[in-house]
Amino acid sequence: MSRIALLAVLIYFIILTGVGTLNGTVLSLALPLVVYLLAGLWRGPEKLDLSAERILSSERVKPGEKVTVSLTVTNHGGALGEILIHDPLPVFLEVVEGSNDRLVRLPAHGSISWSYTLQGRRGFHLFHKLEVNAEDGFGLVVKRKSLPTSGQLVVLPPVARIRRIAIRPRQTRVYSGLIPAHQGGAGIEFFGLREYQAGDSPHHINWRASARQGNALFSNEYEQERVADVGIVLDGRSEVNYLKGNLSLFEDSVIAAMSVASALLSESNRVGLLIYGDRARWTSPGYGKRQRERILQSLAMARTGESQNFRSLFIPHRMFPANSQIIIISPLHADDLPVIAQLKVSGYQVMVISPDPVSFEASRLEDRKSLKLSARIARLEREIMLRRLRGFGIQVVNWNTSTPFEQAARTSLSRPVTFLRAMQSGRGGRG
Amino acid sequence: MTRRAIYVSIFIGAAILVFGMATQGHPIPAIGIALLGLAWMVAHKRRIRWVASPAFAIFVVISAASIWGGIASWMALTCVMFSLAAWDLALFVQRLEMTSEPTDRKIMERTHFTQLGFVIGLSLLGVFAITLIRINLTFGGAVILALLGVWGISSLVYRLRRHEDDIDL
Repeated sequence: MSRIALLAVLIYFIILTGVGTLNGTVLSLALPLVVYLLAGLWRGPEKLDLSAERILSSERVKPGEKVTVSLTVTNHGGALGEILIHDPLPVFLEVVEGSNDRLVRLPAHGSISWSYTLQGRRGFHLFHKLEVNAEDGFGLVVKRKSLPTSGQLVVLPPVARIRRIAIRPRQTRVYSGLIPAHQGGAGIEFFGLREYQAGDSPHHINWRASARQGNALFSNEYEQERVADVGIVLDGRSEVNYLKGNLSLFEDSVIAAMSVASALLSESNRVGLLIYGDRARWTSPGYGKRQRERILQSLAMARTGESQNFRSLFIPHRMFPANSQIIIISPLHADDLPVIAQLKVSGYQVMVISPDPVSFEASRLEDRKSLKLSARIARLEREIMLRRLRGFGIQVVNWNTSTPFEQAARTSLSRPVTFLRAMQSGRGGRG
Repeated sequence: MTRRAIYVSIFIGAAILVFGMATQGHPIPAIGIALLGLAWMVAHKRRIRWVASPAFAIFVVISAASIWGGIASWMALTCVMFSLAAWDLALFVQRLEMTSEPTDRKIMERTHFTQLGFVIGLSLLGVFAITLIRINLTFGGAVILALLGVWGISSLVYRLRRHEDDIDL
């Protein structure tokens, strides 16, 4: 019940009781309440003629970085006794210093300025208004006004520093880079032998092979290293990212996507991004720092969505050319396997980085035997799914998110998959 | 200051009614009123906000009822005025707490107390005037007067609400 209504009910009660019993003393009890109501009307706030300005100390910050919001409210009208100014914060932002509410007095044509500090989670946060509540002295009459303000804050995703990601796409671009191009030429890694040609450096002559043949000279050929086209597909489907208890793996996937993109761009590759959430959001491929910024912006705004599976996923060759490298970052679902295998069949070199939902959820489960057994079954099912993927010739990184991505990438992504397989089989042989 | 004023208001409002009832030979209602006042104070201390409005309403009703219990009219009126003050200050404190950095806090408190003092002073003046004026009314006249009062209050409330509804969001 509002304050005015409560007062009105009490006044009616007193009047009716007083008149009903013909008791003037009872009637007199209504007087303070009536005077109080009249005072509220008399002191009611006038028309609100206010404007507001907002300045953010930074519009682009890393997660955990603090941002100072400075607000100035100017009164263009008459004096205001008590006004409560509230700055509604976008979700996922929190005040860490100061307050986003302020109760102030504003003289005629006066202004008030204050600031507070906030920090928040990854995302694109838009500030668009200030809410003002002006009241009479007794809080009986409240006038509300929204003051339009501008302001936006982008909290960027964290980036893990990865030195190298070993990829081997079937096709590379013409510019020199760091990706082995399956072609002989200038490089570091040995590629093959060919007959000596005029102009070859004497350092490249393979004397042993030449001596074995006797009548000709042979030169070592090295594998050319070039830049490649890489397409990163970030799976933003709520179905696979959200687990029981509203736990989400999506933030981990975003970190992985940004770290991979950053590492590949630093090696001069052409990188594009597809965020597959409620719909496909593309960041067309590009090179260098500018592309890194574009991907950073896209990932800052990435949200999960309700797409059901990868079946509707269509990759135009304009975005990710045929025979290029595709890196899918997804917790994965058994239904996704055919689609991923189809990409491989279409000629793409596919790598899957999969944040492990089973370990993620299992680490938060109670210590009960039945739950442990369920987790073990789920783990086995996932292992079978990943093996099937590997069977298609797809490189799969099963990332336990309790390990920092930097560390996981160093172990599983920094060397070619053939080398890692050889290491694993060697270890198996010894064991 | 405001917090202390709330406790003082509740205490005076309840104490005066307890005293009146006790002196008129109604110890059980007096104990009930004392307990009610105590409960209001405890609720305020524990920041249970919603208690203020029902407590205020109960005190007003009890004040009206206590007139038939034989207590002096000034006692009932004092109880109503101090309950009103406590109820008003409870909301005012809440508003002051809504900001962690209340600028001009003291000025606001001073202004508010002045306004409240003005309301109480004016009420007392009105009551004093009423005690001087004596009119004998028939039942019909009283009913017309009551209807006039209800109409007046209704139009006042309507004006206040209309003032409030002028929201620009």
